[in-house]
Amino acid sequence: MSYLVQEDFVRYECTCGSLSPIPKLYFCRHCLKLRCGYCVCHEVDSHYCSNCMEHLPSAEAKMKKNRCVMCFDCPNCFHTLSIRATTRAPEDGSNKGHLKHYYLSCFFCRWTTRDVGIPDQIASSGNWPLKENPHQELLSSFLEHYKVVAMRERSQKDKKPIFPRRGYSTYTEKFGLTNLIARKRAGLPSLPLPGKEVNPASIPPIKPCVATDVIDTLPASYFTDVPDLTKITTIAQRHANPMIQATVASELHPQHRHFFIKRSLRCRSCEHNVSKPEYNPASIKFKIQQAAYYHVPEIRIKTFEPLRAGKPSEIILKVTNPTSHVTSLSFSPKSEVNKGGVSDSVILDSLGAPKKTVEIPRPVVQDEPNTQVELPTEPIVLPARDDAAEYDDSGDTHNFHDDANVVVWRKGNKAAVKFRIVPDRGMKPGDRSIFSFSMEYGYVNTMPTTAEQKSPQRAEMQVNVLIAPGLIVGNLD
Amino acid sequence: MALNRDLRIATGAVVCVDSKLDGPITIGPRTVVHPKACIVAEGGPIVIGESNIFEEQCLIKHNANANTDRPRTLKIGSNNVFEVGCVISAKSVGDNNVFESNCFVGPEIEVGNGCIIGVGISLERPEKLPDNLVITGGNYNRTIAADKPPAQTLQLDFLTKVLPNYHHLRKPKDRPNVL
Repeated sequence: MSYLVQEDFVRYECTCGSLSPIPKLYFCRHCLKLRCGYCVCHEVDSHYCSNCMEHLPSAEAKMKKNRCVMCFDCPNCFHTLSIRATTRAPEDGSNKGHLKHYYLSCFFCRWTTRDVGIPDQIASSGNWPLKENPHQELLSSFLEHYKVVAMRERSQKDKKPIFPRRGYSTYTEKFGLTNLIARKRAGLPSLPLPGKEVNPASIPPIKPCVATDVIDTLPASYFTDVPDLTKITTIAQRHANPMIQATVASELHPQHRHFFIKRSLRCRSCEHNVSKPEYNPASIKFKIQQAAYYHVPEIRIKTFEPLRAGKPSEIILKVTNPTSHVTSLSFSPKSEVNKGGVSDSVILDSLGAPKKTVEIPRPVVQDEPNTQVELPTEPIVLPARDDAAEYDDSGDTHNFHDDANVVVWRKGNKAAVKFRIVPDRGMKPGDRSIFSFSMEYGYVNTMPTTAEQKSPQRAEMQVNVLIAPGLIVGNLD
Repeated sequence: MALNRDLRIATGAVVCVDSKLDGPITIGPRTVVHPKACIVAEGGPIVIGESNIFEEQCLIKHNANANTDRPRTLKIGSNNVFEVGCVISAKSVGDNNVFESNCFVGPEIEVGNGCIIGVGISLERPEKLPDNLVITGGNYNRTIAADKPPAQTLQLDFLTKVLPNYHHLRKPKDRPNVL
């Protein structure tokens, strides 16, 4: 699967207009549209530690500052620290047997807590000393101050007359949601209870920061001494712990490991999930994974002749049908599907809410095609994917009336199609050649869209593809 | 396997027959040489101390090169670990060093004691590595560790016990030192 990490040779145009290689695209089976990471809603399912696999609900994770209680990161190379044990004779000389002592060590860069003088612990679970934030007091005073300010502003805002919004009223009528729960759902803080009115006078004072002109000059040693790079921390090491920002390696201190998240992706227009992982952090499987890779024919570059400006060259693309239904591909010049400012209607039929429109901005596409392409006129039929066919040596039995000049090779659900491309005359050697076309393909939607139609629905789909096979090697002459 | 007349293996060393040992090589006691490890003494003798581990596909080279101040004998100290696929052609190697997988140490380098050369690190410029130096990562971050890396006693015991069960060993030969 090396093409997963390769440069983006073949890019598909998402419904929103951005270009991505097919492994990064999703396919909503309800809207029958391509979706990319920019045009889906990202939702955090759970927080988990990638080292100890402990998972926490987001409220609890937030309380723990999104860091794992048990695991530490190496401040030197940012890998996970491991607990190592040593036995040591008791210091008082008594023969009570050897005591186990624990320290943290990085198996990658061999940094240990002993390097920076953190004492060994007797319990393996740690109780590792943590460095206090030197500005903790100041920060918490700011926090308290602005909490009160925010509360005051909120109560002022609530005093204004509120026009009832339709969206809320329908929610309330339909599900019996109280105002309080509705506020909670919308992520708004709950209203201050009557009688618990905030006294504006009781704002905790803060000490404002004062700018100064007086800056201490650098010690002369900075200019005279040869720096010892083994003792100075790197920028990345300093920024990994912004509150301490150790400048010398002996002040590095391990930090609790950041939580990772499991996230599910939701189509913005129909609000169905396109990707939903299993809750268990140890599982890498998905409950729902509507990757475009399983639904949209895949295009790979098989081979091409050296590209010269103004000279036609042949390129062979391999197309693969990933679905279990026969499809037919036809090619046409690139079509403009999404011009800037197109709004997408959001259908909320199930909730009975009115249709609302979402402005989808058209991303700036910098790569414009600079190469002409001659497209095959006849459609190309691709059989359904059959996992067993790979082990079938009997050869292909189906008869396709292919033009031998277009379809040069065929096996199972794959076919190699020949195109002729002509890079524009003005291109210089070293320029990246890009050509594009629109690919229409038949898609069988097995998802029952409405209650009446149970049988799979055939739909004609269309996607724009940009292909950048390589660089111009020379001119025509 | 050509008979290497200049090979001296101390008693207690575990040297597999499948390893490639060329030229005058002296292997100290409790040193473990895995099968397919390769030690080539072209430019002069190699003297290896105690309790070293040479893992599979490591390559220790001692090439003759007239225009350097390379000593005639390559001395490798004790308690060193040469992990899978490392290529070492250093001028000298001290004690307690760890050469991690696929690292490269060029011919102009003197390795001190307690150094750790991380995975995939390639050292080519002439230099003398100070003691307890740790080089790791894609940016070759250098740090000086407070302590030398722990000795691989358990691993050595295990290998000396297990390797003879599955591999033929070279017989220890205590020939008189001809160096």
